[in-house]
Amino acid sequence: MSLAIAGMGWVTPLGTGIDSVWQRLLQGEEASATPISEQLVDRVYNVFRVPESGLKEISHPRLRRASAISRFAAVAGLHALESAGLKLESQNADRIALVFAISNGGVVYTKRFYHQIVGTGAHAASPLLFPETVFNAPASHLAAILGVTGATYTLVGDGAVGLTAITMAEQLMANEALDYCLVVGSEEIDWLLCDAYRRWRLLRAAPPIEPFSTQHRGMILSEGAGAIVLARNGFVTIERAHPGGHFGRRAEAGKTLKRILCDLRESEIDFVISSANGTFVDQAEFEALQDVVPNALIYTGKPALGESVGAAGLWQIILAAQALRSKEIAPVLHTNHSLRLRLPFLPTPMPTARRAIVLSCGLNQQAAGLRMAIE
Amino acid sequence: MAQADRRESTNNPARVAVTAAGVISPLGFGLAETLESLRRARDCVTPMMRFSVTQCRCKTAGQVSDSRLLAGDSQIPRSGRLHRASHMMIQALQQLVARQPGFEPELTVIGTTSGGMSYGERYYRSLNGAGDLRKAPTWIANYPAQKPVIDAQTAFGISAPCHVIANACASGTNAIGHAFECVRSGRYQRVLAGGYDALAEMVFVGFDSLQASTPDKCRPFDRQRSGMVLGEGAAVFALENLELARKRGAPVLAEIIGYGISTDNFHITQPEPSGIGARQAMERALTSAHVSAADVDYINAHGTATLFNDATEGKAISALFNGVPVSSTKSMMGHSLGAAGAIEAVVCLLALQHQFLPANINFTAPDEDVDLNIIANEPRSAAVSIALSNSFGFGGTNASLIMRKFEP
Repeated sequence: MSLAIAGMGWVTPLGTGIDSVWQRLLQGEEASATPISEQLVDRVYNVFRVPESGLKEISHPRLRRASAISRFAAVAGLHALESAGLKLESQNADRIALVFAISNGGVVYTKRFYHQIVGTGAHAASPLLFPETVFNAPASHLAAILGVTGATYTLVGDGAVGLTAITMAEQLMANEALDYCLVVGSEEIDWLLCDAYRRWRLLRAAPPIEPFSTQHRGMILSEGAGAIVLARNGFVTIERAHPGGHFGRRAEAGKTLKRILCDLRESEIDFVISSANGTFVDQAEFEALQDVVPNALIYTGKPALGESVGAAGLWQIILAAQALRSKEIAPVLHTNHSLRLRLPFLPTPMPTARRAIVLSCGLNQQAAGLRMAIE
Repeated sequence: MAQADRRESTNNPARVAVTAAGVISPLGFGLAETLESLRRARDCVTPMMRFSVTQCRCKTAGQVSDSRLLAGDSQIPRSGRLHRASHMMIQALQQLVARQPGFEPELTVIGTTSGGMSYGERYYRSLNGAGDLRKAPTWIANYPAQKPVIDAQTAFGISAPCHVIANACASGTNAIGHAFECVRSGRYQRVLAGGYDALAEMVFVGFDSLQASTPDKCRPFDRQRSGMVLGEGAAVFALENLELARKRGAPVLAEIIGYGISTDNFHITQPEPSGIGARQAMERALTSAHVSAADVDYINAHGTATLFNDATEGKAISALFNGVPVSSTKSMMGHSLGAAGAIEAVVCLLALQHQFLPANINFTAPDEDVDLNIIANEPRSAAVSIALSNSFGFGGTNASLIMRKFEP
């Protein structure tokens, strides 16, 4: 079945809007780190935050009490619909599905809600906060803002969930009663998440993220959202959304990625948008990429944008679509120039590039991939 | 199957068979125990044992026995570290695999609401000085919502990619419904589907804070209803292309024939008062099943026993159906959130297989504003060919599933 990207929206620590973020990436810019602390614990982490300026344009009664994750999603979703030239009205509101990819969810309100229970007792729990702790709260707000009345799904997973959401969208679009599927991935940051990932030895104290380093010094968390309108026609085609797979142990991740890459490989894959983020993921991807697509250019945006987990897959797809459209790829930052991978260290023109793979290895046992093409 | 065949079957929708199921709930472990509890209209809601509820209005829940749960999969490596939800999923899948050893899904679709929330709670309490953080990496590793699904698949050598749907209380029905559509479209031949959720303090207190849970018995559709009680459990289904299942000699327990989903956008926690969201989900399921409302013999209602849900669901059912027997089996086992739709699909499966109507217990008097044919307090024998199951969730997400007795 033909599935294509008809519109995109992007909220990142490097700003909001497809073109402006893309230009900054091409120029080799990276997000600035912001320290994040917690009252009860004397430990500071660094994160990449979304500048508040990018969110000022959005105002809706549903967002009055909503957490940042819902606000990011709303901005990205509205931008994606606008860029697709799509306006939802009552007669077509059930002909668009919403698939929302999420990983950690509304962690800010979840922590605040549980803190009341731990600190003061169950009687102090806020009925206003509780609904915002539910995984599908951001999707519900977005559906209400856009007026979607048909299928709305929240899909939970790790960093690969954004690509899994595309697979689910493809499954939904098999139903001819649907014209479009809006796929959104969103994530917000909290100190608690940083602490959890540090205890799991996946986080480093301060930038940079050094992709494909053998040291695996860790990642920096970031926040934001990505949104894609999928239709039957568009400017970039999703040739194949691989259903993905999972691995039992980290050491087995490379094998799963190799299988996905082999399934997606065509004779000419011009470049791969990888999910390398300074963790064990990099070694697994390095081995798989070197084995299966040794001649493809490899790009990862995570040194510049950070690891946005639930939003990360959508960001990777946007990066691939932009690279296919502009026939140019941004430089990979903070990486070793002697690696046996074809990495662009400068903005690199790709005048004949037609086909790309997006590969994602999550931190919690999931992996996925898809192949995109432009005519 | 060749790509050409798959395309052909997209134009000619495949019939979707349930060839096996597994269930863990307060009603029992497995189909036989669940059937026995339904037949006896057992009230399986008990005083809460898992955490302190002294400051909550509600003091009860439908709980799965830890001793049985943890004893069941002690042979699995490091099983002591796994979340209770993983144990539930493993045991539910074990039942399914025992019935269908040859079932190799191409895709897994599972619903949940809370994931591994209780491990998140332990971590946060420990950070706040109330515990030992040395186990934090284990809690963190077992917290993600996909972990119980992967644990269960790994235990039985299943490598299918998994979609974990978190559409609040509709998640289980959404998961089975989406899996049904994947098989019906011809894109997949075998899909594992279901839902799970384990009780967690934060969720329990959350519903209590909303005054959605009750200090009384759970009395769906009753004039005296005052709210829900929570539950927990897991249920899984083997869904297969019916023709291929029969070719390989697999038993067909029932068919899934329709699925409807709607989003009503009214309020984050309350359903649209006219019942339009619920009605649209049921209408879409009927259309999807190519049956009329008059063909439906039994409705397993969402029936949480909250004032709002039962009033709107009651309106929607009575607007579409004419006197169809209705029960909410949450009255017996509580509301298991992301697992509820899957467990209630098992209830429908048993009703179709054993030709009876499960009861809506704790029922004292009908609500004058809700015109329904409630199966009050006792199950009834009846000819049941088609059953419809409803699940509605926070965020205005509504789902309905239709199952049919299999006639060879």
